[in-house]
Amino acid sequence: MPSSTSNFKRILRLPRLFFSKPPEIERVHGGPPFEYERPIPQVPWRGITVVVVLIVIAAVSAWEFCCRSIGYGPTLNDNEDLWTMARQRVKPESVVIIGDSRAWYDLDLDELEKGFGKRPVQLAMGGSCAYPVLADLANDENFHGTIICSIVPRLFVAPPGTLPMERTEKTVRRSHTQTPAQRVSQYLAMPLEERVAFLKQEELTLDDLLKRLPIPNRPHAQVPPRLPPYFGTLDRERRARMIEECARPGSELARMIQQIWIPLFTPPPPPTYIPKEEFEKKMGQAIEQRFHDIAEAVQKLRARGGKIVFVRFPYGGGLKDLEDRETPRAGIWDRVIKDTGAPGIYYEYYPELKGFDCPEWSHLSAGDSVEFSKRLVPHLRKALQL
Amino acid sequence: MLFNSLTFVVFFAVVVTAYWSIRSWNARKNLLVVASYVFYGAWNPPFAALLFSTTAMDFWLGRRIAKAKGQRSRRAWLVGSVCMNLSMLGFFKYGNFLLQNFQWLLARIGIIYQPPHLDILLPVGISFYTFHSLSYTLDIYRDVLKPTKSLRDFILAVSFFPQLVAGPIVRAGDFLPQLVRPPALRAGQFFWGLLLMTLGLFEKIVLADTMLSGSADRIFGYAGPLVALDSWLGVMAFAGQIFFDFAGYSTCAIGAALCLGFHLKDNFRFPYAAIGFSDFWRRWHISLSTFLRDYLYIPLGGNQVRPVRGATNLVIVMFLGGLWHGAAWTFVVWGLLHGSYLVVERVIRGLFENKEWASNLATRLFAGFATYAAVCIAWVFFRASDFTVAARMLRGMFGGHPHGDAILTTREMLQIALVTAGMILVHWSLRDSNIETAVMRLPPWIVTAAWALMACAIILTQGNSNAFIYFQF
Repeated sequence: MPSSTSNFKRILRLPRLFFSKPPEIERVHGGPPFEYERPIPQVPWRGITVVVVLIVIAAVSAWEFCCRSIGYGPTLNDNEDLWTMARQRVKPESVVIIGDSRAWYDLDLDELEKGFGKRPVQLAMGGSCAYPVLADLANDENFHGTIICSIVPRLFVAPPGTLPMERTEKTVRRSHTQTPAQRVSQYLAMPLEERVAFLKQEELTLDDLLKRLPIPNRPHAQVPPRLPPYFGTLDRERRARMIEECARPGSELARMIQQIWIPLFTPPPPPTYIPKEEFEKKMGQAIEQRFHDIAEAVQKLRARGGKIVFVRFPYGGGLKDLEDRETPRAGIWDRVIKDTGAPGIYYEYYPELKGFDCPEWSHLSAGDSVEFSKRLVPHLRKALQL
Repeated sequence: MLFNSLTFVVFFAVVVTAYWSIRSWNARKNLLVVASYVFYGAWNPPFAALLFSTTAMDFWLGRRIAKAKGQRSRRAWLVGSVCMNLSMLGFFKYGNFLLQNFQWLLARIGIIYQPPHLDILLPVGISFYTFHSLSYTLDIYRDVLKPTKSLRDFILAVSFFPQLVAGPIVRAGDFLPQLVRPPALRAGQFFWGLLLMTLGLFEKIVLADTMLSGSADRIFGYAGPLVALDSWLGVMAFAGQIFFDFAGYSTCAIGAALCLGFHLKDNFRFPYAAIGFSDFWRRWHISLSTFLRDYLYIPLGGNQVRPVRGATNLVIVMFLGGLWHGAAWTFVVWGLLHGSYLVVERVIRGLFENKEWASNLATRLFAGFATYAAVCIAWVFFRASDFTVAARMLRGMFGGHPHGDAILTTREMLQIALVTAGMILVHWSLRDSNIETAVMRLPPWIVTAAWALMACAIILTQGNSNAFIYFQF
């Protein structure tokens, strides 16, 4: 706070060098005349503005050209508002896909529509935990449709406070609190994102470019794991398709992504500030709680006549070795199926679903996803007793 | 609607085009009223009704104050206005906080009371527009303003969209006179407004959100002990983030208002070059500090009272200033810390003001550094979610965790160091000047390059419509 009002007045009056005092006639509202006029720097504004506009157009065009030349193409960003748009399309009897990116890439909406007689709504999210979406649908009194839920065990039981959980929770929250302005922004952003390649959040932003700088770190610095680069496109229905470059057998891009999955799917070391036993105990409790919550949500859904089927989608290569070692079927998968009493389809146990190749070890190519969906539909119908 | 959103870009382009295409001044003002309510309603349409009702009440109460014959009656109408505004603020902002504390208090004397949790949605910017509106009745009571006859003009003064939700707190007495006749755009005013908007967005999107917020969030969200370096860097990151976030919003607001022909006063004047805390508060959130000075500190007696009473007044004002920022005791502690800083500064000034060494460069630099460090310490309470986090951070900052974790990456440390150093350098080099003078002194090609660079950085960053920190207040 000012120590004296006179000081304050003196300071406030400093810019009055630039002021022009208004005439007496302006004192209509009474009180002191409004003396404040912001100073306007006298520089050649028109010339400066024209040059700025030209520089920005040139720079943006060059950046777009550069992004396209290194393989990027236009695609929608999978943000909370796009998800909210999809969530708003859910009708009481809809078929809804939830889960992680495997449900995103591996399911073809056209094939599912043919099989179910209605177009499914894609609510799966890359790198996310499905539980908050399952709970949201279970708590939605109007919803009594069908849920196809992908399970990647590490993501499915991700405890509260972890990135996969936070991402989904934030997104579900947005669907309940979205403002009209956010909705309009999404509608305005989509046509741009569908045409401009560099508008790729989470990869081509300044923040992401800075993260790629090869700067050595201190020994114990917490470096966030690297996420895979652009390898798929997303449309307005949130259907993801792997790009050709990644789907090509033995492509450099696919090989690079394969190496990114391994650290991403490797369990991180426990934090240094909690004893290991205590941490493991806490994690165990959190996972137990998750099993309980999932069973409760499924029960709530079924009580209203809703249906759910859990699906384990194809994965391969070194990632399969890692996942099968860390999270074998007998662990989380069997427990979820047992606790919920819901049907499950584990791709490996169905010969017609088994032989697909995942170019980057985790997802099917766009072409294979159509065939896979076609073969999956009869199993889904049978599991759901349709 | 957020300044850093596509919706606002389109909204602003439409409003500016329509505004300058219309000839009638009344029609233009009507347009601004509609635009302001659309801007506000884009968050939550029902809250626009709340905004309108408080504005209409203060308009009516302002007239009653002016018409009242005796001092007692004038005071009664003013009390009505203050109670109406503050009770609304109290209900929406402090309802749950008060209930929780009431419950805690009862528990201390052995009464178990489980209050209902009020599911109150805080109307965005309520702290700001309540003060916009309140300044009107207060100034009429103080006889420095006569009531306006136009409800429309008053609605516009309270709800003018550039400053509606996160300041600056524009007093009706500063805005109403600008509505008397149509503004004439001075040469370069529109472009200068655009440049200020670019600068504000650059501060928010690039400097606050991209360069600093991630590190600040990581440090304040880390549950383990941290070494001193990381703790200090985390706090410095937040110090920069909150400045660029809030000053960025104010700069955008000033720029948008200029494009429409209106003049809003500065809300920040290079605060991290402050020498002492009274100087800091002349530079940080000026519209709030002057509001509290004129309507609270001076009526309490200001510094025209005995020293102990003056010090108490300072602490009371800063306590309420802290509480204004949020319904949590951490904000109160932040305010009280600043209150005590001001008291200590007053004592020190009294002891050493006339000493020759007190005004030499080394002392000034040391005092500036000490001010920045103390402000950073206070920010710990502002940012921490609770006192456990604040205590852990302070322990880390003062070497309490020599074997704690060092989690920041080199890139994050470099970003914090570079942005903070740049910010402090700019603040010190402009502390006795202003940005307009700086722009005039720079060669045009540098202004062009800086503007283009900021615009490109904004586009490259893309922004993800992160809300401004001060929206929650």
